[in-house]
Amino acid sequence: MHDVFMWLALGLYGLGILLLIPSVVHRRPSLSPAALGALGLGLLAHAGAIAVVAARIHRLPVTDVRSALSFYAFLVTLAFFLAYLRYRITSLGLFMLPLVFLLTLIAALHAEHSFDSSAFRGGWLLIHIGSTILGYTGFFLTFVAAVMYLMQEKELKSKKPRAIYYRLPSLEVLDELYYRSLVFGLPFLSVGMVTGFVWATRTWKGPWELDPKILASLVTWLIYLVLFSTRVSGGWRGRRAAYGAIFGFAAVMVTFLGISLLSGQHGYIPTLKP
Amino acid sequence: MNLVLLGINHRTAPVEVRERMNIPEARLADAVSDLVHRPGIQEGMILSTCNRVEVIASAEENVEADPILRQFLADHHHCELQPFERYFYRHLQQDVISHLFRVASSLDSMILGEPQILGQMKQAFQIARQAGGLNGPLQEIVNQALAVARRVRRETALGTAAVSVSYAAVELAKKIFGGLEGKTILVIGAGKMSELAAKHLLRSGASAILVANRTFERAQELAVAFRGTAIPYDELFNHINQADIVISSTGAPHFVITRAQAAKLLGARKGRPMFFVDIAVPRDIDPAVNELDNAFVYDIDDLAQVVEANKRQREREAVWAEQIVQEEVGRMMKRLASREVVPTIVALEDRLNHIREGEMERYRSRLGALAPEQREAVDALTRGILNKILHGPITELKSGVGNPEHTALVRLIQKIFGLGS
Repeated sequence: MHDVFMWLALGLYGLGILLLIPSVVHRRPSLSPAALGALGLGLLAHAGAIAVVAARIHRLPVTDVRSALSFYAFLVTLAFFLAYLRYRITSLGLFMLPLVFLLTLIAALHAEHSFDSSAFRGGWLLIHIGSTILGYTGFFLTFVAAVMYLMQEKELKSKKPRAIYYRLPSLEVLDELYYRSLVFGLPFLSVGMVTGFVWATRTWKGPWELDPKILASLVTWLIYLVLFSTRVSGGWRGRRAAYGAIFGFAAVMVTFLGISLLSGQHGYIPTLKP
Repeated sequence: MNLVLLGINHRTAPVEVRERMNIPEARLADAVSDLVHRPGIQEGMILSTCNRVEVIASAEENVEADPILRQFLADHHHCELQPFERYFYRHLQQDVISHLFRVASSLDSMILGEPQILGQMKQAFQIARQAGGLNGPLQEIVNQALAVARRVRRETALGTAAVSVSYAAVELAKKIFGGLEGKTILVIGAGKMSELAAKHLLRSGASAILVANRTFERAQELAVAFRGTAIPYDELFNHINQADIVISSTGAPHFVITRAQAAKLLGARKGRPMFFVDIAVPRDIDPAVNELDNAFVYDIDDLAQVVEANKRQREREAVWAEQIVQEEVGRMMKRLASREVVPTIVALEDRLNHIREGEMERYRSRLGALAPEQREAVDALTRGILNKILHGPITELKSGVGNPEHTALVRLIQKIFGLGS
């Protein structure tokens, strides 16, 4: 059942992305109902897939790489809808949703090997994982806004507007999207970090502080803290802030995916022992 | 349906010819009335703007309307049309529809996508209707032309992207600041261009304006006109960091704002962006300011370059618009043709039913007294035969709508079944 929903969601996401293209090419003021419908149904199917697994294991399925990616893709699509409803940026979908498609594809392709561990019984760990993923969702939006900002800024500086200039929103709107998503993501990542530390102190023995994933997370957290505080204290806007957000998201990717292969504690390996 | 259009426009005729042929608005109603009272003309409309004069008419079948329209123009202007012959274009039938749709959608305008033509066409339509010039297919076609124009406006970006320098500045400001509400403009040096740009910016929502000029009185004059504030030229740099948009057009021989000064300004603004519009020659603002983060400098050539890009953008949008127009022309042709077919179908059904009822009457006595169910059976039998026979011709009549051979088919069926035209 889960697989049926996943493939359905994947197909609808793909269809939705294709249906977005004409609205962007023709510079319509809003996305076509067909595109929004396909994406909405995709989101629903995706929710169904997550619910099926959640009902079976009696908790949010975020306990292995595959289902964590799937949940992340789900949240990014949700974030797209919220951002679109607020800002009506038609081109936003083309920047955000290909990642959703890719992650959903990965999640749908790999055979399910969700594993159970007593470690996941506690609520702390679920809050840790869920909150961190919510934070990463915000930061993906920050990243997308930063990329769009840099593209539009380049168009404006070059003084030779190309097709993309007419299809991207104003710098002001992109800056607002950037800042709001940053402000959304940071508290969630912070909660994720704190709950992670609390849980680790209680259950793990040994020098867990030196685990590569934990170190990478700390670096990521610091990057976003710097981005936020420099923004609030003034000065860091525009190009510099945009580069910072891109760098920050690269760190998220490394933390989220790359280090899992190296980390003993976060390796999502069935033999994980608390 | 017999449509014809005779016209000149900015591409085919020089302005002297266009003004010679122009029919002023005040005389338009009389002219339309004169046109439709000529023998053979059923409907008429005249579109007369500074860029085009077009006479459109729907004539009776088998009437050659072109000479009538030429004579009408000659009479109206009290002149021989001969010398102007080469400036005129003529469209017939489907081409008239296509031309009207394109004109209304501003695809035939001097500036692609300019919005005035739609209003002008609407006005010509109303005048012609009030003068009794429109009451049939032409009315429907022009009405549809207005609808097509609105669809083009809705579904393409043909009318967007500024094609004048001052509007281009406004659009750029919007691409930087989003809305202009709450934004402050600083005008340095008074001049026609900077006044125009400031006016457009204020109309687009900018809330405050500061004016600085070498002669303070001139600054005060401008400030009063824009309900802004005049600032002494020497104190320019005390005020400049309040401004989001700076429009500069002084006669200074050197840069008024250098890169170093701008860098300091931007620092004081905590990264909030600034847009410099430099209309002066020689330039007032060091072009290197554009290299600074959050600063955007456009001189007069840059704005012209943006206008050129916008025009190319409109040309690309025009391709989509042409597709919409062609689609709508096809639809219109179908609708008109099916309209012509309906009377034929009704006449055909009436004719056969008439025969059936006549024969029923003739045989009533021979059949003798029939029980009600028997009478019903005979009725159903004859009706059934009739419907089977009608099925073929009606399907043919309906399905071929829009094909060139279709009119011949309609004629043929009318002839075979003796349907009086």
